[in-house]
Amino acid sequence: MKPLINIENLAVELQSKVILSQVDLSLQKGEIIGLVGPSGCGKTTLLNTLAGFIAQSAGTIEINTSENQQIKISIANMLPAEERNIGMIFQDYALFPHLSVNENICFGLKKLTKAEQGKRCEELLALLELAEFGQRYPHQLSGGQQQRVAIARALAPQPSLLLLDEPFSNIDARLRNELMIEIRQLLKRLGMTAIFVTHNKDEVFTFADKIAVMHQGKVLQIGAPAQVCQHPNSWQVADFLQLGSWLPVVLKAYKNDLPISSLIGQLANCALVNTLVDKSSNTTLNYQLLVKPNDIELCQQQPDNVIVEHIGVTEQGYHYLLSSIEQHTALAFSHLSFYSQELYVLGDKLAIRLKGERFNLYAVHKHH
Amino acid sequence: MLTGNKNTSWKFFSWFFALALMSPIVVMLWGSINTSSDLFTHLWATVLPEYIRNTLVLGVLVALLSFCFGVPAAALISQTNIVMGKQLRWLLMLPLAMPAYLVAYLYTDLFDYAGPVQRLLRAWFDWQSPNDYYFFDIRTIGGAAVVIALVLFPYVYMLTRTAFEQQDRNLLRASRLLGCTERQSFYQVALPLARPAIAVSLALVTMETLADFATVQYFAVNTLTTAIYDTWLGYSDFAAANAIASVLMLFILFIVVAEQRARAGQRHQSSRPNTEHERKQLSFAQQIIASIFCWFLVFSGFLLPVILLLAMAVDYADYNQLVALIATGKNSIKIATYSATIATLIALMLALFQRLHQSRARMIPLQISGFGYAIPGTVLAMAMLATFGPLDHAINDVAKAFDFKAPGLILSGTIFAIVFAFVVRFSAIANGTINAGIGQIPKSLDLAPGSLGVKTLSTIFRVHLPLLKSSILVAWLLVFVEAMKELPAVLLLRPFNFETLSTQIYQLISDERLEQGALGAILIVLFGLLPIIFLNRQKDSK
Repeated sequence: MKPLINIENLAVELQSKVILSQVDLSLQKGEIIGLVGPSGCGKTTLLNTLAGFIAQSAGTIEINTSENQQIKISIANMLPAEERNIGMIFQDYALFPHLSVNENICFGLKKLTKAEQGKRCEELLALLELAEFGQRYPHQLSGGQQQRVAIARALAPQPSLLLLDEPFSNIDARLRNELMIEIRQLLKRLGMTAIFVTHNKDEVFTFADKIAVMHQGKVLQIGAPAQVCQHPNSWQVADFLQLGSWLPVVLKAYKNDLPISSLIGQLANCALVNTLVDKSSNTTLNYQLLVKPNDIELCQQQPDNVIVEHIGVTEQGYHYLLSSIEQHTALAFSHLSFYSQELYVLGDKLAIRLKGERFNLYAVHKHH
Repeated sequence: MLTGNKNTSWKFFSWFFALALMSPIVVMLWGSINTSSDLFTHLWATVLPEYIRNTLVLGVLVALLSFCFGVPAAALISQTNIVMGKQLRWLLMLPLAMPAYLVAYLYTDLFDYAGPVQRLLRAWFDWQSPNDYYFFDIRTIGGAAVVIALVLFPYVYMLTRTAFEQQDRNLLRASRLLGCTERQSFYQVALPLARPAIAVSLALVTMETLADFATVQYFAVNTLTTAIYDTWLGYSDFAAANAIASVLMLFILFIVVAEQRARAGQRHQSSRPNTEHERKQLSFAQQIIASIFCWFLVFSGFLLPVILLLAMAVDYADYNQLVALIATGKNSIKIATYSATIATLIALMLALFQRLHQSRARMIPLQISGFGYAIPGTVLAMAMLATFGPLDHAINDVAKAFDFKAPGLILSGTIFAIVFAFVVRFSAIANGTINAGIGQIPKSLDLAPGSLGVKTLSTIFRVHLPLLKSSILVAWLLVFVEAMKELPAVLLLRPFNFETLSTQIYQLISDERLEQGALGAILIVLFGLLPIIFLNRQKDSK
């Protein structure tokens, strides 16, 4: 099946600064993808480029609006925003303050007759449970209601693709999850294809079918959330998704059965899931091991090796951040996450060791 | 927060000054309510309808022209890539520094039958008499409207441009995604959203127009302001002048109400300025038309009058003129300095009272002290005379009763009345500037010093005043410049033989010999440029 949208080799340069490069992305009809990444990674720029607010400097965007209708946007054919058949929900909703809810929703329906406009508007008001607010003005609505109006307005012209720019960032944390589920169900029911941007990884897991992690203008990894979490393909992906803590390790020789050593124990080579290690090199290199909280266990037999730096209370018991007792070495660490039902005190010294069997190892990029 | 004795005395002085600034208007209105109806019937049967008609026509024409000049200029500068946009951005504000009556005189000189333009045309085309060709007559109500609009349109330009620039960029983006072209987005979203700002600026322009005296006087267009002046100084009929002033006040009141309503609609502004790459790219032809339009406004509203003045100053420069200029200049600077200082101090007191005092009515003194901005100088002068005249007589009577030497007209016959009138008229400018400055100070800073054991008065000196430094300077400068330019109030209130730059220039213009006052006129324009330059630099440095 043809994808609904296919982005190839997209690049954007603004004031001779590269904002996006080599972006490839494709979505089937009805799919929802979440773009995540740290601030400044280019996710909003990607959205604005798709919408037509920013001109691309290379690459193509193909949108298959129907079976035999295709919009192809390239440098040679820059389609203005109004001809792309793309809807967008803005972070601040961007409702027209001088127009009522009805007028906001009908704003993009100028090609329809008055009667058709009224009918479409009524349907959307009913769908989004806004029926009684049609005559009101945006400032007379709550944040959640405003967001629903923004959704109704974006859906009214029946766009083939919906873009959502941090749509939940202005919503009360308590209502957010409920609203996300509600809107996801709505989009699924309408078979709407959507790309949404957030810097909150939890939102992606609730809202999206697929996740794309961006870093410095590039898409690092795309896939189903579970798959990306289990097999992060780079240090940045694992770090952004906060999949565990980082433990500095040293690789010794490859012939040895226990080549990976850290301050809290050694690992066999075969415990590695990924194959990022450069096997051609014989030199000793510094790497970071991704350690999940349940990859660590207490071990009374050996001497203490960590000290409790911070204690938090969570649903899974007490959450401790541990740092190595030995600090004057390249393998020293701080902020290693560890959960336990046992209560320790700040400054307590503990003995821990690695227990897991499947680890991801990455070359060092950043010091923790 | 204010507590204890200081609290009461501050409250007392805030209310005292606010009410004092209001009092002349109340006295004048009271006087006109008690005017005999015969007088009003007589005025109505004779001249009043014509005055009212002229005033209205002039107001509407100026508002219309200012709209046609200011709104497109604001749109071009804020939304397109017009060539030299950065320079035009502030150049378009310069006409504000130019008093309308100067432009009126200079253009009459340039365009009338004996002026260089018509002489040149006659020489080129070999026309012999006025019957051989048509040439517009600038000394008409239409001419007055064009001249006034050329110097007042920057109000519309500035407020509308700011409104456009502060509009949420996403609103325009949303309208594009909903199928509107750039042009449709402008007309359906940007322009309606700027409507309150446009309305406020047009109200300001109309108010300034209704207050204008010298331009219409020079063009012999009879409006309510010239009528007040003529009735009082020409016929010494104070009651009639007062009555006409009250009619003018009614018009002003109507505009003030309209303006307040428009201001209430000024919501929803955001700070997501249009970035460079989203400006509309003008085609070559559009660039040419847009540039001609903007440069025409800058040229005719500022550059040409300045060039004409400079030419005059060079041609007629002489030593005696310079000596006279220094004397009148000193007078102008003196009253402008007094007015600016007093208005700024009062504004500071009232604005801080509003901010720090707990009482429910704390907003009122600041608000009522600003009412004077709407009152034309001529009307204000009448109000001063109506208030201080009887007061002076009372003082003299009391002095006589106690066998003291009569002090004379110490209130209405000295510069006290002028300075008082200026403070009433320009307080709103100082209030607005300082209040905006206070608004920028986080509320927590009012409370933090208290938690550190510092008293309120000390907090004001150590926290508020240092943070308000630039607002205080701007407020002072704006009032100073307005006071330098203001003419009609000084004309009616000045003591015998007391000349300021503006009255001297007005006199010279009336005598058709501005040439001798060109240097003084340039000085007024230069002073007028100060706040524009200062504000512009302040904005750039942010």
